[in-house]
Amino acid sequence: MILVFDQSEQLDSMASGQGPSQNSALRTSLPSAFAAVNAEQSSLYAPPSQEEQERYLQARPGATPQHLGIALQHAHQIQTQKEAEDMILDRIIDLLAIPASPSADPAAPSTEEEQIFRSAMKSFRPGDFDNLITERNYEDLCGYGLCPRKNRKEANAKGETFHFKYGPKGSGPGGRGRSMEIVPREKLEKWCSDECAERALFIRVQLSEQPVWERRAEATRAIKIELLEESWARKEKHKAKAGSSTSASAPDKVSQADVTTSLENLTIQDTGRSQELAMERGDTALSHQQGRVDIQIKEKEQGPDSVARAPELRPEDAYGGSVEGYIPQERQKQPSDNQDGQDMLDQL
Amino acid sequence: MDGDIAAHSQEAEKETTRLWRTFRTVYEMLADRGYEVSEEELTISLDVFRMKYSDPMGYPDRSKMKIQARPTEDMKVKYTPLPSKSNPNPQADCGTIYVDFCPDASGVGTKQVRQFNHIVDESNFHTGVFITQTPISPSAVRLLSSVPGRFCEHFQEQDLLVNITRHELVPKHVLLSPEEKSRLLERYRLKESQLPRMQVSDPVSRYLGLRRGQVVKIIRKSETAGRYASYRWVI
Repeated sequence: MILVFDQSEQLDSMASGQGPSQNSALRTSLPSAFAAVNAEQSSLYAPPSQEEQERYLQARPGATPQHLGIALQHAHQIQTQKEAEDMILDRIIDLLAIPASPSADPAAPSTEEEQIFRSAMKSFRPGDFDNLITERNYEDLCGYGLCPRKNRKEANAKGETFHFKYGPKGSGPGGRGRSMEIVPREKLEKWCSDECAERALFIRVQLSEQPVWERRAEATRAIKIELLEESWARKEKHKAKAGSSTSASAPDKVSQADVTTSLENLTIQDTGRSQELAMERGDTALSHQQGRVDIQIKEKEQGPDSVARAPELRPEDAYGGSVEGYIPQERQKQPSDNQDGQDMLDQL
Repeated sequence: MDGDIAAHSQEAEKETTRLWRTFRTVYEMLADRGYEVSEEELTISLDVFRMKYSDPMGYPDRSKMKIQARPTEDMKVKYTPLPSKSNPNPQADCGTIYVDFCPDASGVGTKQVRQFNHIVDESNFHTGVFITQTPISPSAVRLLSSVPGRFCEHFQEQDLLVNITRHELVPKHVLLSPEEKSRLLERYRLKESQLPRMQVSDPVSRYLGLRRGQVVKIIRKSETAGRYASYRWVI
């Protein structure tokens, strides 16, 4: 992946990669985005041409095209992994630049920035998210990607590694006194406020542990990152609905709404359930199926002369043959006795 | 108030001394790798260092401390691969090195590394060495190694406070040229994969800026043989 140094170039790349003009299909399906990136710099990591492959095989007399195929496949896998890691790094750098306006509200981000954030989150693992938080803190920003404020700094608590946090009055055990929490200072200083910490950790638990280069294409597409505010709104709706269903006298209307929401939630590939199924079958190696690394099933090549023949009687089978290479004594004797007899006859 | 100033100057003095030691180790490192380093650069005294690189407050000014060095002929030979059929006149895979001290006291992330990468790429340096006071973030480490065709390394100042190769328990490591390597393999009828190994991340390997596939000769003192040489394949 090309490193973007120039500010203007960076803006260009952001505009081309994540601008609103891009259709949403490209943004969600990572493989196509990667193909585009690959095509741009094919000169750098081009797979070997047919000619090169032939030359390689000629130089190694023991190697077959199959060996070369396997080697190439592994090389492709490693290359896709590297590209994915580079892309995640680029995304982290891009996310340092948002939100653009210093007065943006983390609770109600602009749709464009929210879109950028969400699409980046799809390819992240929790570890990458932690890296993003570190980077943002180094830039004196709140760890939550959509918050423009500075992270808080306990200036007067220099040298203290822990911070005592008191709750409101009456929040202690048994409703008396105050609750108290002891929090490591560095954890506290990641965020601008407790709300942002909650928002960010809510995103973090939704991220997939599986690295993006081992996911199926649909698995990446099916990941839905929900912001904390959305989740609250959804719960509110549910509550309101539950309340109305008890009071309203039109139950079929409610059930209709339920059906539509459940239909909306239906996806063709339910990742969670399919993974569950795979676990049940003991088929955990779901990796790179139709994902970024394609699987090529290669049949073993067979020459025309290797057609299986029906078994036929061989001379050694006349006495029952050997048992795993051992010829039983009586059978061994029989032919030799005959031979002896013949020799005697000759002598006579 | 007086005490405050004294404490300040003491602190500045401490930091200057530490940085001076790091600075000297960097020059020793460059010389050991085979770059052109003059005698006075190698043996710079604390007073000269303080005069040259400290700001009015007495603290060292890291933005002034930028080092460039060119490889010597010997080094070029060591880094020239053997001529092959497809490449009859190979070029030496080494060039000007650039050392940068990061002035930021904490929180060195992708921002500073991008700036450094930019300088290395723009000025067409072959190798870059980035020296920081604190550890850098994981993504910054990744970013540092991702400039195509250039070698960027990272050290912490405290790693270079003393020169580890001058320690009595560290044997001498000598990099073999490709020709010497092929002669060694021929002499012992080995494939390179049959040699003992050493990691690229090994402290001495990092100090010498070794790359994968190179072979170093390690010369140790021996009670019985006087000197004993062994070889390591860097992986």
